[in-house]
Amino acid sequence: MSEFLSSLRLLKRMNWLMLAAILGLIVIGVFFIYSATSMREDSTADLFRKQMVWAAAGLGCYLMTAMTDYRRLRDVSWGLYAMGVILLVAVLFFGTRIYGAKRWLMFLGVGVQPSEIGKLAVIILGACLLSPLVEKYARLPSLWKLFALAGVPMLLVMKEPDLGSALVFLPIVTAMLFAAGTPVRPLVTLMAGGALVVLLVLAAVALPERLGMTPEHQEKFFQTIRLSDYQRDRIAVFLHPGKDPMGTGWNKRQSEIAVGSGGLTGKGFLNGTQNILGFLPRTVAPTDFIFSVIAEETGFAGALLVLALYGILTVCGLYAAMVARDKMGRVLCVGIVTMFFTHAFVNVAMTIGVLPVVGIPLPLVSYGGTFMVITLFTLGLIQSVYVRRPGL
Amino acid sequence: MPAANNTINSELGRIRLILIIMLVLLALLGGMLFSLQVSREGEFEESLHRQSMRRIRLPAPRGLILDRNGVALADNQPCYCLALYLEEIRKPGKWKYTVAEIQRRITELAVLIGRKPVITEDDIWLHIRRRLPLPLVAWRSLDPAALARLTEASCDMTGVDIYVEPARIYPRNELAAHLLGYVGKAELSDADIAGYQYTLPEMEGKMGLERKFDKVMAGEAGGRLVRIDASGFKHAEQVEQEPRAGDSVILALDSRIQALAESAIRDVPGAVVVLDPRNGDVLALASSPTFNPSQFVPIVPKVLWEQLNADPNRPMLNKAVAEVYAPGSIFKPVTALAALNNGAVSVGMTVDCPGYYMIGKKAMKCWNPNGHGRVDLRRAIEQSCNVYFATIGVKCGNDAISDLALLFGMGAKTEIELDREAPGLVPTPEWKKNAWRDDWRVGDTCNFSIGQGALAVTPLQMALMAAALANGGAVYRPRLVTALRDWQGTILTNFPSVKVRQLPVAPAVMEAVRQGMHDVVMAPTGTGRRAGIPGVEMAGKTGTAEYGQKEDRKKHGWMIVFAPYDKPRYAVAMVVDDAVSGGLTVGPRVHELMLGIFGGTPATETGAGG
Repeated sequence: MSEFLSSLRLLKRMNWLMLAAILGLIVIGVFFIYSATSMREDSTADLFRKQMVWAAAGLGCYLMTAMTDYRRLRDVSWGLYAMGVILLVAVLFFGTRIYGAKRWLMFLGVGVQPSEIGKLAVIILGACLLSPLVEKYARLPSLWKLFALAGVPMLLVMKEPDLGSALVFLPIVTAMLFAAGTPVRPLVTLMAGGALVVLLVLAAVALPERLGMTPEHQEKFFQTIRLSDYQRDRIAVFLHPGKDPMGTGWNKRQSEIAVGSGGLTGKGFLNGTQNILGFLPRTVAPTDFIFSVIAEETGFAGALLVLALYGILTVCGLYAAMVARDKMGRVLCVGIVTMFFTHAFVNVAMTIGVLPVVGIPLPLVSYGGTFMVITLFTLGLIQSVYVRRPGL
Repeated sequence: MPAANNTINSELGRIRLILIIMLVLLALLGGMLFSLQVSREGEFEESLHRQSMRRIRLPAPRGLILDRNGVALADNQPCYCLALYLEEIRKPGKWKYTVAEIQRRITELAVLIGRKPVITEDDIWLHIRRRLPLPLVAWRSLDPAALARLTEASCDMTGVDIYVEPARIYPRNELAAHLLGYVGKAELSDADIAGYQYTLPEMEGKMGLERKFDKVMAGEAGGRLVRIDASGFKHAEQVEQEPRAGDSVILALDSRIQALAESAIRDVPGAVVVLDPRNGDVLALASSPTFNPSQFVPIVPKVLWEQLNADPNRPMLNKAVAEVYAPGSIFKPVTALAALNNGAVSVGMTVDCPGYYMIGKKAMKCWNPNGHGRVDLRRAIEQSCNVYFATIGVKCGNDAISDLALLFGMGAKTEIELDREAPGLVPTPEWKKNAWRDDWRVGDTCNFSIGQGALAVTPLQMALMAAALANGGAVYRPRLVTALRDWQGTILTNFPSVKVRQLPVAPAVMEAVRQGMHDVVMAPTGTGRRAGIPGVEMAGKTGTAEYGQKEDRKKHGWMIVFAPYDKPRYAVAMVVDDAVSGGLTVGPRVHELMLGIFGGTPATETGAGG
């Protein structure tokens, strides 16, 4: 009981600016989920209410996590990792298939993306492994061991297939290793290797056609390198934006029009033409393309506000890393901020058409229950590190 | 522990580096957003507009055609259509669900209004593919009973509404059909539809005044902007530019007299023209048989069209201006004027009519085989004596007659505002040489003098002649349209009456001929006495002209009259096919017409009583 009270007292040391930014993003999210669904008559018109419920649950979770000492994670890190891997295997068998990909597991009517849990598990395990209890004597685990540990869930995510989420593992692990003091040279080598893989994938998609391969040969080639049609389409659309305006390229094009036509101050709340007329597909407007709705209705000013709030969160998160009492806290914060930042960056970048359309939502803003709760849980971990900073 | 501190410092440095990278990346995103939203905004605004806006061409309300008293002869009336608004009916999922729903609704409505469905599944698909943002018209021209049932219906009426389309009607049906013409579906040119994605049915004049004044009455089409959603359904609409209503055409026509004129020849092929001799106003212009232009809107039924064109009496032809006839004896006043005017003949000169006139060794018969005895001009006109007119015609020469006939307006179009006007023909020696490669002979002059031979005139030209005889020699251009008026009633253009020329005829000469014409109607023995009506002093001339094969013995009956004799207000020319003679066949019809015209006005106004 006294422990509970003392942790409650700890909450007073919380980074209030960070909490304000979080609340700001959540409020913006609720408003524009409402805008994105307001003209609909089916059950989706209720999404903003559900989002509020999820946000409330998430904020509760956030406070609980902030009160709990992050160092306790050491006890559960391996277990969490194992659970993550099991779920990722399970989703391949029992997942709900949406648009040709199995990414969701349904528990009692609530959808969970195991890839989210996988990322979280890798961050927590990585933070533990990179900060041995007795720092002085410890030696860092080899780069390869860590990459192997991160690689298992990453490959499973790729198998779903969810290329976008899988690639998010790379910056997370790289940033954590870098922050943990891993020598730069092998790290750079690794990053170069990763970049090479990405380039190879892009080349594999783009080149066969350019080289004049017949469609049958292209088919065979893609089968050999195990790149699914769906993945190829997404990447191909990124490479050739004008191609197939009503197919995969549609969302990207319409999102660009939505953002672009927003102008400096936007068309006003509930007045986003692209959204109302359904050019911005109604299924993705409140989720992956919520930023388009915001940018169309509030213009550059509103879009910049959202970016600024993410900037505040990033600064607060990394500040927590800097003032953390131990290495585990530091690495943990860096991992979480990197995940969070990568999600936000990739989502906005795909909305404005500079990155391919990958199914990554905008943290705290996009509609999505479990994603909201998990995001707030990770941000709660940052607060947990922050409130336990030295200098009581 | 300097080592540990170093480690920590280097780790903090690394975190700072991560922070800087992230902030740079965010700034980069901000920069890209700026370029997309602020620098290139117009470009996306444009694409948004292009993909979501459609422009519909709105037809303008068509101008009316009114008679001189403001009676509408061509009018617009609302045509009630039952339309389905697909954006309210659509079903999620495949298009076929929506199509099935539309069909279900149409079947339901068919029972309700008691009419068979007229649009097929193919029509629905076509509408969805081509005109999705527009309402789908399921039935046109609903009757009041159907409208009543619709408003009282208890079934689901979402997406169902009454849609009003303007329809052209001719309230008096056949009245003045040849003048008015009719409208049909407009064929819009590429220039008309440039900038529009959709058009609605528009009308354009296909015949008569509807065609001649199409530009005036059509007005200017407007535009409506429709914002469509991603599936192509209508989302919202706004009128971008209101159409400008067309202007109305005001005629000199008097619909009462027009009705009388049509009635006078209703049962026989022919034509009547009634002019106001004081200004050339066309008070009535009728051709028989006629047609009902109301049956031609919106489209001419094929059967009716074929039937009208197969009719040997050619109902579609406006015989008053587009058909030429030999005038016969009604031309004789022109011969008389020509002969008296050039001094070849004096008013007092008499001619003995034995019943024939010798042209060389050939005898030309007078219509009265017993002869008229000795006749002077007045008696000759009254009795229409061929021998007298052949004699004076030969005396004055054909050139004098043809010159005067041309001055009367024969042989040329009158420039009335109607289609297919025939110029007719005034024969001359040059003409005969060109057309027949033959010389002009005395017989030609004799025939010409009595209105036979190659001389060909339209009923309108004869009415103008009658008007000139009535008013003492002023030849007017027939005026059918007196003014154009905009939809608010402001007169835009007045077409003044145009006097083409004054005939170079001495008043005494004119008076002599008029006296003869007076006796034609007013004398108990006059050939036109059957045309007379009590209380009105009239003048006129009858005529009979053979046509067709000689053995058929078919004759056109003619009569021209003007009245009242002293101050003429009406000049009439009437021709009918298959007549016994002008006096017998046409006289009673003119009588009926004049009775009607004067029946409505008090006797004091008729000028010369008794």
